[in-house]
Amino acid sequence: MADLLNIDNLHLEFHTYDGVVKVLAGVDLKMQRGDVLGLVGETGCGKSMTALSVPRLIPMPPGKITAGRVTFNGEDILSKTESEMEAFRARHVGMIFQDPVTNLNPLFTIREQLVDAVLYQRAQGQKVPGRWRGFLPSVRQMRKDAHDRAVELMRLTGIPDGDKRIYDYPHQFSGGMRQRVLIAMALAGDPDLLIADEPTTALDVTIQAQILRLIRSLVKQLGLTVLLITHNLGVVARSCERVAVMYSGRVIEESPVRELFKNPKHPYTRGLIAAVPQKDISRGGLEGIPGMIPNLIDPPAGCRFHPRCPQVMDICRSAVPPAVSVGADHSAACFLYPEDA
Amino acid sequence: MSPLLEVNNLQKHFPVRGGLLNRIVSDFRAVDDVSFALREGKTLGLVGESGSGKTTIGKCILRLLEPTAGQILYDGADITHLKQRDLRRLRGEIQMIYQAPAASLNGRMTVGGIIGEPLWIHEGLKGDVARERVLELMNVVGLKEEHYYRYPHEFSGGQQQRIGIARALAVQPRLIVLDEPTSALDVSVQAQILNLLQDLQDQFDLTYLFISHDLGVVRYMCDEVALLYLGKIVEVAETEVIFEAPKHPYTQALISAIPEPDPDMQREEIILRGELSSSPLMHRGGGCPFAPRCHAEKLATCETVLPSLVEVERQHQVACHLHPPISIAEVH
Ligand SMILES: Nc1ncnc2c1ncn2[C@@H]1O[C@H](COP(=O)(O)OP(=O)(O)OP(=O)(O)O)[C@@H](O)[C@H]1O
Ligand SMILES: Nc1ncnc2c1ncn2[C@@H]1O[C@H](COP(=O)(O)OP(=O)(O)OP(=O)(O)O)[C@@H](O)[C@H]1O
Ligand code: SF4
Ligand SMILES: [Mg+2]
Ligand SMILES: [Mg+2]
Repeated sequence: MADLLNIDNLHLEFHTYDGVVKVLAGVDLKMQRGDVLGLVGETGCGKSMTALSVPRLIPMPPGKITAGRVTFNGEDILSKTESEMEAFRARHVGMIFQDPVTNLNPLFTIREQLVDAVLYQRAQGQKVPGRWRGFLPSVRQMRKDAHDRAVELMRLTGIPDGDKRIYDYPHQFSGGMRQRVLIAMALAGDPDLLIADEPTTALDVTIQAQILRLIRSLVKQLGLTVLLITHNLGVVARSCERVAVMYSGRVIEESPVRELFKNPKHPYTRGLIAAVPQKDISRGGLEGIPGMIPNLIDPPAGCRFHPRCPQVMDICRSAVPPAVSVGADHSAACFLYPEDA
Repeated sequence: MSPLLEVNNLQKHFPVRGGLLNRIVSDFRAVDDVSFALREGKTLGLVGESGSGKTTIGKCILRLLEPTAGQILYDGADITHLKQRDLRRLRGEIQMIYQAPAASLNGRMTVGGIIGEPLWIHEGLKGDVARERVLELMNVVGLKEEHYYRYPHEFSGGQQQRIGIARALAVQPRLIVLDEPTSALDVSVQAQILNLLQDLQDQFDLTYLFISHDLGVVRYMCDEVALLYLGKIVEVAETEVIFEAPKHPYTQALISAIPEPDPDMQREEIILRGELSSSPLMHRGGGCPFAPRCHAEKLATCETVLPSLVEVERQHQVACHLHPPISIAEVH
């Protein structure tokens, strides 16, 4: 099956006063339609930048893509013009941003923002749900339809009394309900791909459970494809089918979720799993990963994990390990594993 | 053995302003009748969702906030109404470590200055003596000597938290209130800090009040756990009991919602209705504060009578009408 999304060897730099920050150093990531892929890794490893490269929302400058390709449904994203990009974003990608500032505007009601999102999506493309297709309505009719669609989106995302609450301002919503509104907005364009960047990080655990359940049910109901970004391995274990682990600008391991937790191959993945306080770890039994995440201006040569790796070999200090197959549907970028035979 | 810290019926109310003249219209009970005891050398976890009153309790113990009512006993002495000058000695004994390492460190001071400041304030130490002690402390928390003249912003979050810990240790406290000490940190760094805290506890016989909303971390760090809901403790027991046999419906839901990094762990997930903030915050009408979200087979009294925290088994207290106190249970 053709990939819905294919990020291939993506390199991204930021030019700053301090120097060139080498943020992405060859990211490879593929998604098929219907995938629910978790993208995990610690602060600064490049999860958000990888995700933002798809709707091409990385500020350039200071950002600069120096190598690599991003294809969506076979179309080359990086060579599109800005107006083509606008239509692409409206029609294909729904995004929940990590940065709350870019999310809901406190000065406008939910209705204004949600109806806008629906109208924007309609203005950008023909791809609207069936019942709007084929007639050219008046502006008033369009707004009314958009309003109905907004209420429907609120129902879909589990917001009770959407027809009344749509007139409320964001501050009148609780944290969990605001997150539902954001999901509704991201779904306004009936996207092929939903990118959710840390959608539950700021929420309490009982609310997190509600939102994760919502995402799972949307996947079932709408056949959504989801890229779920999180630093919480537990969230991945609960919600995703596949998982890609990033470290310092690269995907260093990828596999089905169960396989990753049962049979992690990359030393970083192993360290990451061992660092989570789990059931049955007795006092003193938790292992951290020694050292710190690398500086991206002057990153370590070779495998960027080598200064912290308990199994480092000579070759790791000079050469960059390619991703190799380490099992069925399981790949890792580490010299401990021989190249595909 | 008498506990090092005992909190009895602690209340902290904040005024709620409203109306045209912005007058005080009512009280918001951020902490409502909270009692617990903490034995020397142990760690008590204080768990609850955002706004449940965890930080407020911590600040009342350090007397950074004045309790509205109740009593705080430290080492047998009532410290609830200590005067300003006696507070200084107390603050040597009890320290607090905060969540955001960067925000709690003075950015214009060097690391050496930050860690040395309490030595000067509390013990009048200066010069080489102070410097020696600071270097010793830096060594204890895993900072290097060359970090002495650097500034906090030059450090990662984990390193900054080490600076905060060294500063707290400077005055040789016996009790440390840790307010979400690792929630701003990445998991690999969190593990380093949690291990450091355990080592320090063993080395210096420290007592911890460990505030967190991360149940996995609490399970790893604490001997006992108290669960807060809207300013009230709803359950207290030994850690293992809380995680293996929770009784309060709220605790059961929280435990079931822990995202365990183990895809084979099939657990029935209890999804609560609503949110903390959607339930009425002030329960003038009586009844259990958790009733609007409760998933258990409720009793008629749930809506009308406030359940009090009672011992339902040895060392296990619960505030829920479904769980009668031990003595009554025995009579039946
Ligand atoms: N405008 C910029 N200028 C320079 N560096 C930048 C800029 N934007 C991002 N970076 C750097 O790019 C790296 C990757 O950032 P990204 O936001 O993708 O990380 P992340 O994995 O999403 O982290 P987090 O878990 O904290 O959200 C970080 O080290 C960040 O400092
Ligand atoms: N100075 C204050 N004035 C008014 N209300 C306050 C004040 N400080 C705290 N509160 C309120 O008291 C309640 C408890 O706050 P507290 O900070 O103790 O919660 P918490 O459990 O520490 O939450 P979090 O997990 O978000 O840190 C909150 O609803 C908060 O808004
Ligand atoms: S009293 Fe009712 S609502 Fe409260 S905890 Fe018990 S069962 Fe739940
Ligand atoms: Mg991010
Ligand atoms: Mg707090």
